[in-house]
Parts: sequence; structure tokens; C-alpha cells
Amino acid sequence: MADEARKKEILEKLRNGVIQYDEDACREGANEALEAGLDANEAIFDGLVSGMEEVGRLFEAQEYFVPEILMCADALYAGLDILKPHCRQMDMGIKGSVVIGTVEGDVHDIGKNLVKMMFDVAGFTVYDLGRDVPLEKFVEEQLKTDSELVCLSAMMTTSMVGMPKIIEKIKEKNPDCMIMIGGAPTSKELADRWGADGYAEDASNALKEAIKMVAFLKKLRDEKLKKQ
Amino acid sequence: MNSRERVLKLFRGGEVDRVPCFSGMGNVTETGINKLGYRFANIHLDAKQMADTAASTYKLFGYECGVVPVDLCVEAEALGCVINVYPNAEGILYPTIKEKLVHNEGEMDGVSIPDNLADKGRIPLMREAIRLIKEDIGNQVAIGSYVLGPFTLAGQIMELNDLLKLSFKKADKVAKLLDVMADAIIVVAREYEKAGVDYITVREMGATSDVLSPRVFKSLILPPLQKVHKAISAYSVLHICGKTNDIVTFMMEANPTAISVEQKNNVAETRKKLGRDALIFGNFDPYNVLVSGDEELVRTTMRKCIDDGVSAVWPGCDIWPTVPPKNMAAMMDEVTKYGGKR
Repeated sequence: MADEARKKEILEKLRNGVIQYDEDACREGANEALEAGLDANEAIFDGLVSGMEEVGRLFEAQEYFVPEILMCADALYAGLDILKPHCRQMDMGIKGSVVIGTVEGDVHDIGKNLVKMMFDVAGFTVYDLGRDVPLEKFVEEQLKTDSELVCLSAMMTTSMVGMPKIIEKIKEKNPDCMIMIGGAPTSKELADRWGADGYAEDASNALKEAIKMVAFLKKLRDEKLKKQ
Repeated sequence: MNSRERVLKLFRGGEVDRVPCFSGMGNVTETGINKLGYRFANIHLDAKQMADTAASTYKLFGYECGVVPVDLCVEAEALGCVINVYPNAEGILYPTIKEKLVHNEGEMDGVSIPDNLADKGRIPLMREAIRLIKEDIGNQVAIGSYVLGPFTLAGQIMELNDLLKLSFKKADKVAKLLDVMADAIIVVAREYEKAGVDYITVREMGATSDVLSPRVFKSLILPPLQKVHKAISAYSVLHICGKTNDIVTFMMEANPTAISVEQKNNVAETRKKLGRDALIFGNFDPYNVLVSGDEELVRTTMRKCIDDGVSAVWPGCDIWPTVPPKNMAAMMDEVTKYGGKR
């Protein structure tokens, strides 16, 4: 185990690397974490994700906008790619897989990719269908992978109206599957009316929701560690 | 005063008998399409079908304009992108870009405007559609068309993800591309003018302040928008989606005849900021109010737009085709009754 001061220094490097969208710093920090024998999960959560939480705050405060967030996400992935192979498998007591994609008629995928990133971080198995995805593909993929979560994204009003059909079909075949919808034109009312379990109206909101979810997982992990 | 006179007088800055109810964006309805016996996927590819469908919103509901096209891919296609109109879709799917023009940063500098842009893609079809709709209803309503803003168009010909990051990392490079986009848009807008449109809406949807900072808007997005608006000799409207309260003054600096904002804009504040003479069009939610709301919600929303001080009641985006006819009727009725009372 690395000594505390060194550990703190490395976590700080990862965190700041994300905040300052510095891919090299995140890569370095990740390698240093492994060399120093830091727990990879800890480096991810207390370093990279902690940085992303700050990025979410900066976005809320309108200090950061979407370009910055995209660059921060690149930095996070630079570190994550190195750390991920060293993660203990599912030590959070949560098994999760998610099907995610932008619905047919919509070629925007920025919000979807940010949410995907947080699932990646949380150790979910992510089945990313990409963008402009035909409705049946979501249903098929959910059935094939038995994922507990399906995330549907749309940025245009003109494409979101396909969502209720997908939700209905999935719920019909698998009532336990949770469905999140997201994108600028969506709303809590629409999510309720269409029978979706959650929603996020924009990239920042999606990020926030995803962060909340990951933060919850982190809490579970901490509690579990305390008990050990 | 008929609808045409009302809208054109408003654009000229004159006094009108009531607030008009129209749009510069797509407003075809399924009711109209079905009545004509057309299919949504086909109306983008046939000038007569496009013009007929667009005119049907006026004919059926008295909506005070005739606007073509219906989709957002005309300019990108003319520049060389491949589009998908979803020919086999059961429901309504708007065309999207299937194949981009620029695949990486290196290709950005190579983008140029084809010499015969005015004859590429569906530009000739658009000229014909404008001519047809003008012939059909041009005496009764103002005829409009729209082009994309330079940034939004750039986000179609290359990955939006890359464009956004480069706006930050290599603003000069993006500025250069946006200038080329502006030139392309000007060529297209001039063709529409020649075909006879009364007004052109510039839809800079990708540059909302939900996405880019007001600072970047001013330094990067505004200059090519100014170039476009300067070149348009018809009346012009600048439309930007999302939260626009922080950039409405910049929008005015682009020098359009009017600005168009959506439901996330606080119009009462915008009116205060821009003064009584500014033409502000907006700002109801075309889906959550007009499609999924009931008549009462439609009526209260129309009154709120008018009370907040819009110069014309105008949707925040394209009107979604499945709009119930009774809501279209409620919208027209409410604006007609209430629109003169301000």
C-alpha cells in the first residue's frame, strides 16, 4: 500500500487532470497509481470521478460549457483506460448492464456519451448501440443481454416521439427493466406518461443524474468497506 | 388586413391590428399530409408535394405563413453530405445526415463551396417549391424559408463532438470553417430570395447557450451570423434554441429583422432588455403545449406569450406534425381574439 501523502498526491493529479482537461496528466496519474500500488477502483472514484463531480459543478455555475465537458471526458477516459483492467471485478456488490443509444431519426450523441461514460466508470457493462438506432434494436438488445437498464436519448423534438413505442415494447416483454430517457425535449411529465423510470433533460442533467447514481454506488462501496 | 399584410407590416416595423401567429420553421401537419394523400418521407423529395403540404397548414387552420422546406438537411446535402429520408419509416422521421463531409480535423481546411452550389442537391427543388407555394397562397400569407446558421451547418458536415472541442482548442480553425459555411448559406439564401420568399429564418440551433458560453458565442458564432444577415435582402429572423437570455443582445447584433426564441427564454425579461421596438418572435413549446397539451393549456400559453411581449406568436421549433387539429384551432382562435388586446 502506498503511503498516504503519495496517495493523496496521485488522487489529486487524477482529479485535477480531469478538471483541467489534461489527458496526459490523467494518463500519468493512472500509471503512477498502479506503480504505487493504489487500488484501481479508489483511483477511479476518488480521483477521476471526484474530478468529474467538480466539472459538473463548474458546468452548473456556467464556468464550463459543453466543449470543456467533452474535453474533461476525454481526460477521464485517458485515465480510465489504464485503470480499468486493474479493477477488482464488481466489488460493489452491484451487477449491472445497460443498453444505451440515441433513437432513430436523431444523430446527436453527446448527452448519450456522457451518460455512457458514467456507466463505464461505475463498472457497468455498457451495450452502446450508437445513434440513429431503430426502435426494434433497443428491444432486441435488451432481450439478448437481459440488461436491467435501457437508456434512450434524443436531442430533437422531432425524434423523441419514437420513445413511447420502445418503452412499451420493452416493458411488455420485460416489466422489470428500468428505462431512462434523456435529451433536451424530454421532461418528467413525458417520462411519467410514457412509463419511463427516469429522465434527464440535458447533458449536464444527464451528467448530474449519472453522477448521483455513481455517487450512490460509491456510498455503498464505502459502507461495505467499513463493515469489512 | 390579411395575414400577408399583417406579417409584412410587422417586419417593416409598422403597427399591426393584432399579433400575428406564424412561423419561420417547419409547420406541416399530419392532418394536411393525410388529406393530400402524401407520405411524409416523400414530401422532402418532390417540389409539388412539399409546397402543397406546407400550404395546407394555412388552408386548414389559417396559420399565417407558408414555409418550405420541411427538413434541416438541404444545405448540407448541397455541400456533398448524403442524407437519409427514412423512406420505409412507419411514423414520422425527419431526414438526417448519413454521410458527413469532414471526417477529421485535417479535412476541415479542405472544405470549399462547389461552383454550382445553386444547382446541387435539392436547391433547384427548393426554388420550385417556393415558386409553387407562392403561386398557391402567396397573396394571402407571407412566404418564408429557412437556412441553418454557420455553426449548426458545420455541426452537420462534421462531428459535432469534434466541432465543439475545436471551438475551444482551435477557435481560429473553426472560425475559418464557419466563414466558408456562411458563404454557402448566403448562396442558398439568395436562391430562395430569387425564387420569391418574403422572409428567411436563420436557424443557429447548435449554438445555444446551453452548449456554448456567451463569450464563445460573441467571438466565434456572431461574426459569421452577421455576415449571413448582412447578405440577406429579404426580412430575416435569427432563431436560437435553448436558454438564450444571456445572448439576446448578441443576437440583435447579428442584425436580423427579428429574433426568434423558444420556451426556455424569459421573454418578459428579453423585452425589457431589448426595448419595445425590437421584433421578438416566440416562444411556446411546440410539443408539450401544442401536441400533448389540451386546448386550455394552448390558450393560456398563447396569452402568456402575448402578455410577455412577443411581437408574433411563433413556436420554439418546428411544429410537430401529429399536432391535434383542435389545438391548432385553439391556438389561432386565441391569438386572433387576444392578440390585439395588448
